[in-house]
Formats: sequence, C-alpha cells, structure tokens
Amino acid sequence: MNRVFIRSVGLVPVGEHWEKGLADLMYEAASNALLAAPGIKPDKIIVGNMFSGYAEHQEQLGSLLASTLGMAGVSAIKVEAACGSGGVAVHEGYLSIKSGEYENVLVVGVEKMKDMGTGKATKALSMAESAEYTQVAGASFISLNALLSKVYMAHYGRKDEEMASFPVIAHRNGVTAAHAQFRKEITVKDVLSSAIIADPIRLLSSPPAGDGAAAVLLSSKGGEVEVLASEVATNQFIFQERENLLDFMASRIASSRAVAKAGIGVSMIDFMEVHDAFPVVAALALESIGISKPGMAPIDAMNGRFNCDGELPIGTFGGLKARGHPVGATGAYQVAEAYLQLSGGAGKNQIGGAKIGLTHNVGGIDSTCAVHVLRSAI
Amino acid sequence: MIPISYWRNRRSYTALMGSRCRACGAEYFPPVRVCRKCKSRDIEPREMPRKGTLITYTKLTEPAEEFGKQTPVYLGLIELSNGVKLVSTLADVSESELNEGAPVSMVIRRWTEEGPTGIIYYGYKFKVDAAYSMS
Ligand SMILES: [Zn+2]
Repeated sequence: MNRVFIRSVGLVPVGEHWEKGLADLMYEAASNALLAAPGIKPDKIIVGNMFSGYAEHQEQLGSLLASTLGMAGVSAIKVEAACGSGGVAVHEGYLSIKSGEYENVLVVGVEKMKDMGTGKATKALSMAESAEYTQVAGASFISLNALLSKVYMAHYGRKDEEMASFPVIAHRNGVTAAHAQFRKEITVKDVLSSAIIADPIRLLSSPPAGDGAAAVLLSSKGGEVEVLASEVATNQFIFQERENLLDFMASRIASSRAVAKAGIGVSMIDFMEVHDAFPVVAALALESIGISKPGMAPIDAMNGRFNCDGELPIGTFGGLKARGHPVGATGAYQVAEAYLQLSGGAGKNQIGGAKIGLTHNVGGIDSTCAVHVLRSAI
Repeated sequence: MIPISYWRNRRSYTALMGSRCRACGAEYFPPVRVCRKCKSRDIEPREMPRKGTLITYTKLTEPAEEFGKQTPVYLGLIELSNGVKLVSTLADVSESELNEGAPVSMVIRRWTEEGPTGIIYYGYKFKVDAAYSMS
C-alpha cells in the first residue's frame, strides 16, 4: 500500500474575516499549500466543514472549491463530523492515497462562523448533538460540556483553578503564533474572573468563534512529514446515554489504534495537538490517550508537564482556545501545525528536536474522534 | 423546532416514552432500535418513571436562540428511578435546592413557541419535589 506524506500546508489566520466568504477562505488556504508545492496537481479535493449550509446557505463545498481553483473536473467531496470534520477530512484523504486510487489529495478544512450572531452560532454548534432528544430540551453544546465538567470535577475532586491551567497554556503558546486568533497571555485569575457562560465554563475557558481555513496537501510521492497512522472511532452518540460519562471511548479507541498502527509507543510522542475545546475535554483526551492518569491531567497541566518546554507540549500554536476553533477547520489546522513542527517550520513555536507528533480532534462530546500520528521524514 | 418532528416524537416529549429490551430487560430513553447491551432488536415501547434524582446541573446564560426568552436556562443531568440518565431543563428553580441527589419529578411545561400567533411546543421538564423544598 502507498505511504502517505504531507507535501505542504496553507493556513489562513483564524479571526473575523468580514471581507472573505467561504470560497475566499478555502481559496486562500488551498493556494498557500499549492504554491508551496510547485508541480503537484491534486487528483482529489476533500473539504471538511460542519455547518456551511446553516450558516452561509452553501453546500457542495467540494465542487465549489474545485471550480474556485480552476480545477473543475477533479474528484471533490465535503465530509462532516461536527467539530471533528477537519480531522475526518484528513482521514479520508489519507485513505484515498493509501488505497492507491489517488496520488495527491488536497484537504481543506473551513468554517465561516462570524456572519451568524451568537444565538444562531450557539444553535449551529448544538447541531452536533441529537436534534430530536437533546436540542429540543434546551441543551446547548456548551451546557452539555458544563455538565460533563461538573461530573468530572466532582468525581476526581478537581478544582476550578486546576482546570484553568489548560486555557492558560493555550494562550501562552498563541502569543507567538502568526495564525492564532488570540495572541495574548492570560492568567488563572483572568480565567476565573471572566463571565460565566454555563458554570463552571466561563468565557476564557471556552473557544472563541472565528472564521478560518487550513489546507493540507497529501501525496504518495514524498514530503517532509509522513502520516504514519490515521484512525477514526465513535462513542455512543447521545452523551447522557453513556454508561460511564467519563470514558472518552472514541478518543481511547482511535488513539490506541493509531499508536499501534504507527508502531510507536505513547512515550515516543514529542508533542500533541489535542482538542482542548474546554478544559474537561483536554483532560479527558489526555487521560484516554494514556498520557495522564484518570483525573490527573489538570494537575499535570498545572505542574508544567504540557508547556512548550515541558515533557509533552500540547496546543503548540495556541490550541482551540487561542489559535481558535473554526469548528470544521480545526482538525485540519492541527495536522498543518504538526507538519510545521515536524518540518522545522514552526518559527518561535518550534519544539526542539520534534520527530513524532499526534493530533486529536473530536466531533460533539467525543462522539467522533480522529487521531493522526505523524513523523518527520527529513 | 420542526413541527412534524415534534408531532412524531410527542409521546417521548410528553410521557417520557422510551424503550425496553424484551431480551434482557434494559430500559432506554430516548427510544432505541437495537439494545446497547445485548444487541437484540426485540424492543418494545416503555414509559420511563417520572421520578428521579439530580446528578448535577448548570446555569446557562447563553442558550440557543429559541430558548432566549427563558434565560437563564437551568439544565439538569438526571438519573431516573430505573437508572436511565437524561438531560432536561429544570422548572421553578430555586438555586439553593439544586443539590446533588435532590429528588425531582417530571412536569409538562412550555419548551418553545413560534411567535405570538404560532405553535407552542410543550414537553417534559423536571422540578425539585415539594417535600424536599420544604425541608
Ligand atoms: Zn437487551
């Protein structure tokens, strides 16, 4: 079977792009990647996106991007898995090459959030959860994460100031990241004095809304980074139906399969881009991957284990909290950021000697999880 | 709310109609087609008990737009007396009563409405039992 490499990436800074629509954002990210890989012509385009239909009345993003790039005729599709759309899109690109059917696949994650007001954006995000049984009862996406946070904190005796370590790390890493939405440090005190959205989740412990697009050009013909493994798994769709609410089964299955298929051990991973949408999600991600003991990830975070100069840096360009979380694009940003780290192109955010990285992207509350293991091929 | 979808699921929304697996007896809400535990497809409708306990709750200050009028929304994670967990809006809230383990019961309340002349959608909410409130 073919090996899969990342040839180049293209990033649009996450933020408020009032002058740019969906096609503009996708075009910018895709062009940046294609210009960095002269001579490579994609034979397939995969777009990861969550709610372009609801937010911008636009579907069929695969064909739209193909035509925008002047490539009508090429195979092109959109894939969707809520906040995990970007990671799942990279996964489908990986499979396209692995199968031998395609040689060069352009994957673009995109989301246009800012055209919607806060109320409509909240509704859009809640569509990750059951329309018939969760949305109708008044539950927003953040409120479900708030319930999960309370269950986690009560079960393990974790405190607000321990949970707040995650957004603090994210913001510190975002300061020097050119494509990050927020480039300003915050303190635990800042987090805990910010407005409550759904207790214990506050403004500074939840990701911002932003527009963004990230492109990853995959190729069977070699590149500076190799995708060693790409796995997708699912958890029980309706969160409250899960027997153990604290078992991130999708993350656990996808990461253990990916690590095994990559032929590495977890201890060989030099950095991780984890889905730190909320502190509790970062914690359960790290615990389900086997990095922290159950209930201990916030303590590890507080003790500096996940800092850029720590044992296992996470969110090296600011993660979802500071780089930003343009929902369906996030998983593609993570893989692009891992490429920058592993090809020595991370600038001031460079993790010295990084050889192996892992990306972890979830849709809903661990309803879908996409994990990639990548290795420097320089 | 999608009107016909509401109508289709009305028994679940107003009477907590869920499922019971005829093979192993496991109960579910919302209703299922395949038993999670034994994978049987021999499933019958079953109303859930209308009493349970509060596991935890959150106070939501930025709900989705159709719930904007009800801000703040109190959302509870509830364990029904048969062990089934569900997420529901809480009604008639007095924050001091929202303790872990507080006994709660189902009530029918207004969920959302489509403007002053449109459909009003009713469904289950849960409230802390009066006896507990008094104590
Ligand atoms: Zn059964």
